[in-house]
Formats: sequence, C-alpha cells, structure tokens
Amino acid sequence: MRVFICGFGTVGQGFCEVLDMRRQFMLDRYGEPVTVVGAMDSKSYVYKAEGLDPIGLVKRKQETGRVGDAQYEDSVAVLSGADYDILVEVSPTDVRTGGAGLRNITHALENGKDVITVNKGPLALKFQELISLARKNGCKFRFEGSVGGAMPIINLCHENLVGEKISSVRGIFNGTCNYILSKMDKGQPFEQALKEAQQMGYAETDPTNDIMGYDSACKVAILANSVFGRDVTFSDVRITGITSITEDAVSLAASRGMVIRLIGEVSETKLEVGPRLIPKGHPLSVSGTLNTAQILSDLAGPITVTGRGAGRLETASAILSDLISIMDERAKPR
Amino acid sequence: MIVNAELYVKDLPGQLVGSLEPISAVDGNILGVVHNRERIVNHRICLNVTFDVEEEQLERLKGIWKSKDVIISKIGSACQTYTMDYLLIGDIDARYIEGLINRASTIADLDAVDVRYSSKAGDYSKRTGMLSVKTKSVEDLDKLDEFMDTECRKTGNTYVRGV
Repeated sequence: MRVFICGFGTVGQGFCEVLDMRRQFMLDRYGEPVTVVGAMDSKSYVYKAEGLDPIGLVKRKQETGRVGDAQYEDSVAVLSGADYDILVEVSPTDVRTGGAGLRNITHALENGKDVITVNKGPLALKFQELISLARKNGCKFRFEGSVGGAMPIINLCHENLVGEKISSVRGIFNGTCNYILSKMDKGQPFEQALKEAQQMGYAETDPTNDIMGYDSACKVAILANSVFGRDVTFSDVRITGITSITEDAVSLAASRGMVIRLIGEVSETKLEVGPRLIPKGHPLSVSGTLNTAQILSDLAGPITVTGRGAGRLETASAILSDLISIMDERAKPR
Repeated sequence: MIVNAELYVKDLPGQLVGSLEPISAVDGNILGVVHNRERIVNHRICLNVTFDVEEEQLERLKGIWKSKDVIISKIGSACQTYTMDYLLIGDIDARYIEGLINRASTIADLDAVDVRYSSKAGDYSKRTGMLSVKTKSVEDLDKLDEFMDTECRKTGNTYVRGV
C-alpha cells in the first residue's frame, strides 16, 4: 500500500512515527508494508516511487524545516505526477474556503484514490460533494481523526452502533476551551487561563478558532453530515463562544453544583455550539484538555466516550485506524 | 394523568396486592408505592401509591376500590415538571430579568421561576443572573430555549443553559 502524505506538521510527522512503530504489525496483518512514497509540506515535497524512510522524513523536517528538496507552487500538480494508493491529507485547515486540503482531497478522489483526512475545513464545507465523489469513483474516504482526535466517534457510530437509531450526539470537541473553562473552575480569570493555555501549547497564538467556537462548529457540522446524514456546512451551526464567560458566571454555576463547558450538540433538528451548564459528576463535566461525547441511541441508551482530542500520536492513531479499515476493506475478496 | 393516592387497607395478607390490582385493571401504570406500616388507623395500614392513568378511568378505579373495602383518604393529581437552568451574562438587572420572565411566560407555561444574581461584578456589562425555570412540558422548555436564545442575541447578552 503506497501512501502520499499532504501536510507534514505535527500530525503528518506523528503518522510517520506511528507507521514506523506499527511496521511489523502491518507486515504481519497484510503481508506487505505500508510504504510512504511521497510527502509534502507547505513549501517543499519529496517523492520516491520505491518508498521513503518515514523516520528519515521526520528527522529531515525537524533539522531543516522542510520535508523535501523540491519546491512546488501547485500541490495538485505534485499529486498528479505521483503514483500512490492512499492520500493522507493532514495539511492546515481552512474553514473559510477549504484551502489546499479541499483541492488535494478532490483531486485524489477524482483520480480514484482512497483518502484519509483529519482536515476539518473541507469536511465542514463540502462534505456531501466529497462523499458523492468518493462513491462515484469507488474510493474509500475516512476521517475519524477530524472529530475528537483519538476519541473514537464517527466510526463508532457507523460501525459498532450501525443498528442503532441515534437521536443525538453532544460533547466537548475542543480541548483548548475545556482547559480554559477547567482553569476558570479554580478561580482563574478568562484572560489568565487563555494565556496559560497558550504557554502550555494548547492554544495557538491566535486562539480565535478555538475560543469563538469555530473549531467545535466544524466538528459539529462533520458529525451532522456523517452520523445524521444531514447536508449542512459550518455556517449552518448556531455558535456561541466562551469569550463572555466571566468568573462571576463560573462561581454562580458552582454555587448550584455545576460547571460551564463548551458543548457541541447535533440531532435531526439541532446544530449548536455554546457554553452549557453541566452538573458536576455528569459525563460531560470532564476537566483539562480531554474531549468527550455522549451518544444517545434507542437500543443501547446513552454511550459516553472520552479521549485526547489532539496530539501528535493521538491523532495519528485515528489515521492508523482508518488506514487499517481501508486495507481490511481492500483485502476482502470481491 | 399522574395521580397520588393515600389509601387505608386492612392489615391482612393479600390486601396490599388487592389494592394495587385495580390500578392495572383500569390500564394504569404504577410509578411508586410506599407501605406505611407505622401509620395504622382502625386496624388499617396506610398505603401511598403514585400511578399514571387516563383521566376518564379514575372514577371507575375509585368504584373498584370502594367495592373492595379500600378507604381512600386522599387523592389528587400530581403533574411532572421539567427544570432548566439559565445563566445570563451581560448588561442585566432585576428589571430586565422581570421583563424577560414576563415575556417568556406569554410563550411558555412556566410553573416556577427562581432567580439569583451575582453581586461581585463591578462592570455593569458583565453582570450575571441565574434563572431556574420549571415548566410542565418538554415542548415548553424548547419554546423557552428558543425565546432565550433570540432575546440574548438581540440584546448582546450571553445565555448559558443546562443540558
């Protein structure tokens, strides 16, 4: 199986490390290794039909800041010249246009390639178009890591809960906001908690996407489309961020035995992201950078999953599970 | 309807079951039973039973109990309420909250409203109030949610509701 990796930041590098860690496992399971034939970052790329050393790629990126020698202007042109089976699209997300990620995924699906992505922008903007394109061209298209990182939710709903009628999914889908709100539980003001999150590396220098609820809204749109079969985009989500949450609000909630958490909620009729009052001890009252989701289904009742919503190896683990699913599917006798 | 009844039954074997069977006979659903052994009047034991039954079946049930020598000392309907908490953050004061509750009560049937304020914030634009509202139906809660969301978006305040 030949893999081309678009995007060589934390997640792309993490995926290479995971491939190296699971090399023997994949060899035992499929009788062939997973070969990285190409990798691309924002400026450079490398392609070798015989395969590249994944750890070598990581080292090179860390030492030189580039994954390859060759430079490019059009990522689609690079992909056009490469021979691969699966595109792993992990380039930086663009929630306004879908960016290069959308172009790369579209190109791969148009050319009959399977795609794994954690890139939220393309999924939150053009979900149904991409799914239709994948179906039309007989491609596998998986995106477990796009919601909740290592926390299984999309494949859980599609595979383990396939016979259930799911009435709602709600949860904490942004670790940065959860970290800030957890710190506010202990008396820190919002600005201080945000600064601490930035110093710890949980929040970006420009935290707008997280604290305004946009990141969670992307995930809510992806869940609405993938779990409920709705046809919505990021702009259909009713969003309220956490910037107006005050110390007073947190302490008033605490006086009633509750905490405030940024909750995304999806059902047949709901599509919301906003701060919510959660009773202490409730499955959605988790602290720190954790993500959690509560799925309400008719036969199994409420099911709660919790896990790390981001991180190098954590997100790579979701990509690995998608890769294994695709390889299992492809290995099935037709 | 949900009914709560206080019955007195003879302190004899089989009387407890005998007083509950008529509820099933009129297609009622027993939600809870408390056997008050310490409350004995005229050799009869007190029994509190809560059940769900169609309103038109209630008279028939009373008739069956009477024929079985079960004494009904109290009977009344109890209705289920649904509670939701709302935190309001922004330029809010008692008059604003009162107006909000008045307008909310025209679109949803509010059973009870409890209001709390935080007095710490010096900044008037960041005051906090908490409303605990009880309604008689889930539909009323949905209407209330929609109302609160619209009102807060209009006024630039933030509302945080329970789950």
